Amino acid sequence: MSSPGASPPVLACTGLGRTLPADPPVTLVRDVDLAIQPGKFTAIVGPSGCGKSSLLYLLGLIDRPTAGQLLLDGRDLTPLSGDERAAIRLEHFGFVFQFHFLLPEFNALENVALPIRRLGRLHGAAVEARARELLGEVGLAGKELKSPDKLSGGERQRVAIARALANDPRLILGDEPTGNLDSVNSARVVDLFVALAHQQGRAVVCVTHDMGIAERADVRVEMLDGRVVAVKAQ
Amino acid sequence: MSSNLALLFHIAWRHLVVRRRQTAVAIGGVAVGVGFFLAVSALMVGSQNDFIKTLISAAPHIIIYDELRSPPPQPGVRIYGGADAAVALHGYKLRNEVRGIKDWQAILRTVNDTPGAIGSPSLSGAVTLRLGGREEPLGIVGIEPGLESKVSDVADKLRAGSLDDLERAQGGVIVGEELARRLGLNMGDIVNATAASGTTKPLRIVGLVKKGNTMIGQSSGYMLLREAQSLLARPFIINRIGVRLTDAYAADDVAHALESRYAYKAESWQERSSDFLSFLVTRNVIMYAVVSAILLVASFGIYTAVSNSVADKRRDIAILRSMGFSQGDLQLVFVFEGLALAMAGVVVGWVLGTALMEALGSLKFPVSGEDQRIPLDRSTRQYLIAAVASLLSGGIAAWLPARKAARVDPVDILRGAI
Ligand SMILES: Nc1ncnc2c1ncn2[C@@H]1O[C@H](COP(=O)(O)OP(=O)(O)O)[C@@H](O)[C@H]1O
Ligand SMILES: [Mg+2]
Repeated sequence: MSSPGASPPVLACTGLGRTLPADPPVTLVRDVDLAIQPGKFTAIVGPSGCGKSSLLYLLGLIDRPTAGQLLLDGRDLTPLSGDERAAIRLEHFGFVFQFHFLLPEFNALENVALPIRRLGRLHGAAVEARARELLGEVGLAGKELKSPDKLSGGERQRVAIARALANDPRLILGDEPTGNLDSVNSARVVDLFVALAHQQGRAVVCVTHDMGIAERADVRVEMLDGRVVAVKAQ
Repeated sequence: MSSNLALLFHIAWRHLVVRRRQTAVAIGGVAVGVGFFLAVSALMVGSQNDFIKTLISAAPHIIIYDELRSPPPQPGVRIYGGADAAVALHGYKLRNEVRGIKDWQAILRTVNDTPGAIGSPSLSGAVTLRLGGREEPLGIVGIEPGLESKVSDVADKLRAGSLDDLERAQGGVIVGEELARRLGLNMGDIVNATAASGTTKPLRIVGLVKKGNTMIGQSSGYMLLREAQSLLARPFIINRIGVRLTDAYAADDVAHALESRYAYKAESWQERSSDFLSFLVTRNVIMYAVVSAILLVASFGIYTAVSNSVADKRRDIAILRSMGFSQGDLQLVFVFEGLALAMAGVVVGWVLGTALMEALGSLKFPVSGEDQRIPLDRSTRQYLIAAVASLLSGGIAAWLPARKAARVDPVDILRGAI
């Protein structure tokens, strides 16, 4: 799976599967073996309904697998409790979804500060300084105090990215993060993701059906009917 | 940890601030509940304390009567046996006890030797007042003014004259002002009184008892003990001993001790007013039932507000969970919403209740020519009870929907987003 000479994977799974307990049972993801490398931009592609999002939720500890193992730095995560999984998400994972999911009652700065405050390593002014720095990195300096409904779609998505980066996570997981953006904003987000991987050494995993994005990825994971059918380094 | 609680409270707070109207309605519900609880309980407790004070102070704490609770067996039955005797007695002549407390000096000594107790002997009997062609019954109570004033508050209930005036005038009597008015009698007037024995004496009005708010009957008259004994033709006899205690609540025990020692019926103020005291208990039960109902209704408001908030915020719940907030965190956010609503309601309710009490307290209404105020009990205890009950019911009302917030599965929301 991993190309020769690559660093050890930050996240890996073997035989990963997810079956919904319906009658008959619905299998969303089956028998997936993957290794996610730090410093690489991985794209998950495939036709609509093939299980890309379902796999991403499993990799991001949002959903629980019904088969297989998931390892973070070689440590098996399957036996962990819900609270332990939440603690890992808080510290190591950053999510960006198709819809920004900003909390409407909080301004941009406060939205970015939420995960920082929850982690509790920074306090008071340091939290605000960190949130400002992140908003600056995504090009939103000066818009910190705007509420989400006063921002454009592209700006909101960049606030969501800043929020995903808040606790300096090692993994960034995106589920069609550009799906709702025009081509200009879309390109900015992709540039940002590539930079997060190549310059900051994070593992970036992005579900997309935009071939333009898939072209720019370091690794392309192709899915069909809940299975990974090809992993291509490019 | 506490900074995490502050964060969760911050989220809860923002939810409430944004949903102004629902928040105001829920707070209003609690505030009205708390406000009315304070006003109603101040009224109930205040009037209850007032009643009990009147019960305790208006008459002696204990009255010893010249009666036995269960009359002793008649001599015939005592000698020839009871129900299982060989001879059954019917229709024999019953012996009447001579009325009056025998050895009353000994009882009075025992009373006065009891720590914190003081006794006052009296003789009561009926006479008829005659004035012109009119007749009016009067219950005469013969007292020792110096002792009686220590045992009952009759001295404080006089409209005119004083107990000591009884000593100064031959045949002095103190009667109810209502009776005096009916007979057209004024202070210093003389009226003839006839006892059942046939003795008639002229009595001079030396004092008037106020009507209203007192246990002293308007058809009683106070005289000197020895003059009453002579008018009623019962020399040296008394038929009541009134007892006052420093601790009014010891009356039951002291009365019981006196009765078991001397057999004469000794009635405490609690026994005398037991119907009334049990009425007070019923009244309190009703009050707390009504108040619980008010608080229950108030907590429905909180339940609705928090339920709607959870339903509206499913998306936010999902994103917070994916970010790394735990199920417990989200449950707390919504419990905090309920507690904040309850807390705000309590504060507004305290203000409302205080204002209601002020309004009630400023009301004056005339009773027998004097301005009376509604007795109110403004104890901090009522404020605390209202706060604790509201926070508790608000917390429970919020906890029920908050569990739903914790159970929201972020995957369901993310999949079906918008
Ligand atoms: N709760 C569910 N019950 C039944 N089928 C589901 C459920 N959730 C998802 N699916 C199905 O599982 C498949 C995979 O969905 P998803 O992972 O969202 O695909 P993708 O992201 O590749 O479009 C789809 O065919 C979807 O209809
Ligand atoms: Mg999808």
